[in-house]
Amino acid sequence: MAMLPSGVFFSSHAAERALVRTPPQRLALAALLLVLVLLPLLLNDYLLGVLTLAGVTLVAVLGLHITVGMAGQLNLGQSAFVGVGAFVAAALAAKGWSLWLCIPAAALAAGAVSILFGLPAVRIKGFYLALTTIAAQIMFPIVMIRLPEAWFGGTAGLPVDPPAVFGLVLDTPRSIYGLVLAVVVLAFLGAANLSRSRIGRAFRAMHDNDIASSVIGVDLARTKIMAFFAGAFFAGISGALYAYYVRYVSTEQFTLWLSVWYVGMLIVGGLHTPLGAVLGVLTITALQEGVHAAGGWVMAQTGSSLSGGTVFALTNVVLGGVIVLMLLFEPLGLAHRWALLKAAYRIWPYPRA
Amino acid sequence: MNPSIASPVRRACIATALLGALAAATPALAQTSYTVSVSLDYTGPFANVMDSWWGGQQSVFDWWNETRGKALGIKLDVKTHDLRYDASVVARTWPQILSQDKPIVFLGMGSPDLVSLMKRLPGDKVPMIMGTAMIGPLWTANGWHFSYRPTYSQEFAGLFDYLQKRLPEKRALRVGTVSTQGLAGYVDQVNGVVALAKTYPERFAVVSQQWVDNQPVSVTNQIREMAKANPDLILVGTNTAQVVATVKALKELGLKTPIVTSSHNGLNEAAKAVPIADLEGSYSVFAFAPYNDPTVKVAEIFAKYNKTKGTWGITSAQTAGQALLAVAAIERAATKVGADKLSGQAVYDALLAGPFPAEQFLGLLPTVALTSAAPFPTEHLAVKAMTVKGGKLVAVSEDWMPVPPLEKW
Repeated sequence: MAMLPSGVFFSSHAAERALVRTPPQRLALAALLLVLVLLPLLLNDYLLGVLTLAGVTLVAVLGLHITVGMAGQLNLGQSAFVGVGAFVAAALAAKGWSLWLCIPAAALAAGAVSILFGLPAVRIKGFYLALTTIAAQIMFPIVMIRLPEAWFGGTAGLPVDPPAVFGLVLDTPRSIYGLVLAVVVLAFLGAANLSRSRIGRAFRAMHDNDIASSVIGVDLARTKIMAFFAGAFFAGISGALYAYYVRYVSTEQFTLWLSVWYVGMLIVGGLHTPLGAVLGVLTITALQEGVHAAGGWVMAQTGSSLSGGTVFALTNVVLGGVIVLMLLFEPLGLAHRWALLKAAYRIWPYPRA
Repeated sequence: MNPSIASPVRRACIATALLGALAAATPALAQTSYTVSVSLDYTGPFANVMDSWWGGQQSVFDWWNETRGKALGIKLDVKTHDLRYDASVVARTWPQILSQDKPIVFLGMGSPDLVSLMKRLPGDKVPMIMGTAMIGPLWTANGWHFSYRPTYSQEFAGLFDYLQKRLPEKRALRVGTVSTQGLAGYVDQVNGVVALAKTYPERFAVVSQQWVDNQPVSVTNQIREMAKANPDLILVGTNTAQVVATVKALKELGLKTPIVTSSHNGLNEAAKAVPIADLEGSYSVFAFAPYNDPTVKVAEIFAKYNKTKGTWGITSAQTAGQALLAVAAIERAATKVGADKLSGQAVYDALLAGPFPAEQFLGLLPTVALTSAAPFPTEHLAVKAMTVKGGKLVAVSEDWMPVPPLEKW
């Protein structure tokens, strides 16, 4: 439990366990939500698009936080599960299913597929498990293309119509941002609460020491599969949102490269809290956009003495470098740094213990 | 000052004279400006070819503005966007392009533009013109996205048709394919050629299909296996890495089978990685004229108007064709609705209003006949090809090579 300012105490267990515990916290949360809701009025369509896509990515990374950060099961195939969700949502949307059914169905489908690849986790772990999840990533496009065209479009992929909510077609940057924001808030709450549940505690126990956790009664096989299912469930939701946002799904959009970035975002933000996923996604997105913008500016100023290919390479070098630096100097991620800052602020002016 | 003319009268005279002068000048000044938006990739995977890519488009638009546009009273304001060849970047940038540029036509780069926009364009009423070859799965009706090039498979079919007719004996041309599973576009290239062989079994046969890594280190084992089927040529329509690996494998195995490539992975690109002598007899085929074809007058336009560091070559020729189709459609639309009433809908209607004769494309493209049945021409299809002869890149045929009819597969 994080340190609280002097004089703040709770008279009930429920109050102490609440996610938002003090009036200033409630105020800050309300202000944050207000800003998020008002952002479409302040940002242009491009920046709104960047944020929307960051939100879609965040849902997938929150899922990865559950599988990797909470349960300790390495997963380098999250992008494939996002893809499963995207294809299922697209296929069902094409049949006229509503958003309310497509998103849960996509989540369940991705979760179900993840069980196939989570099963090996019962027997293997670590590096070997990571390889198994890479297999999921490699098999995904091959299987999707080979399935009957009537199911998922085969090599063509599937176009997706903009979703409708209560008769309102979400075909503008603002409306799709609203949808993604609502889902992100729910996903964040879900991930944050999961860690405080019985299942979440089983995940944590397994993460810390799987043999010891089995001794105290955690069913390892079941818990590992549940960890994969929960992570892929979020990935499926992310996939459905992606399909609605880009309005077309094809296998080329869900690559191993993307899975690696998901893990990178989690490392930068911090594996162990949902806040880490948020910070990681926002930081990496800001860096990506920043390097591209800076590269474009430098090219314009220097009369293209710096080639576009260099900027492309530089983006990956910078992002890779950030991940390496985080692993070296702040392996617990930005979320840990944030927690330290909060603690220092709360006990200020006294020095940190 | 002339005191004999009263002041109010004089002012009226001056005003009348000014209005008259303005009216006389009006035809020259009445140039309506429209925006053409262009997708480029300055900071993504194709950044290194972007100067030549944009150079092809920019020089055509500048030439057109200075000549035909001026005569029509139209000025095209071309706005470029770095969309990084990334579908998600396209999706998030498009609303801004739409609201700020209000383009009457959009020039796409490749599949990221296609997948992100093909569903939106009909609602947004902006036609998109591509310069890349298409793939079978995108062969759908009533789209607002068009390319002057048909599918890769149809382009290959044009060369196969030409080569089969020149076989010393009457038999089917034996084709081996190298491609990659899991990448939809690459798989479709093979599917289209298989469909061609099924349509014309007496003329074409796919004797071996080898599936390799996307960026293979070696394909020697696969080529050794393919060699057992004795192909007349090996189709590698995917990427340069596979072309280079196939060339090396053939050399290793002591084989002289020609390779057939497309424009994006063609002989020019492969020659950067392997000696051109190793490409002797191989081909690049595409639905536009080779850049070194003397009948291509666009080369002169590029030489005069290009402002980029790009050079005239396959890439700039391909994108110049894209821009030429765009301005041809704009000209036709202006004739139909008037230079001051152009819109995305008018350009779309113009694209579908019948074949554009080859003369409009200054030797670069054949007749382009678009219909609402497909996002590319399905009639009057023709290609040109390059080959390596004596260590030099030369045209296979001075004439356009017709593509045999092929149903959707």
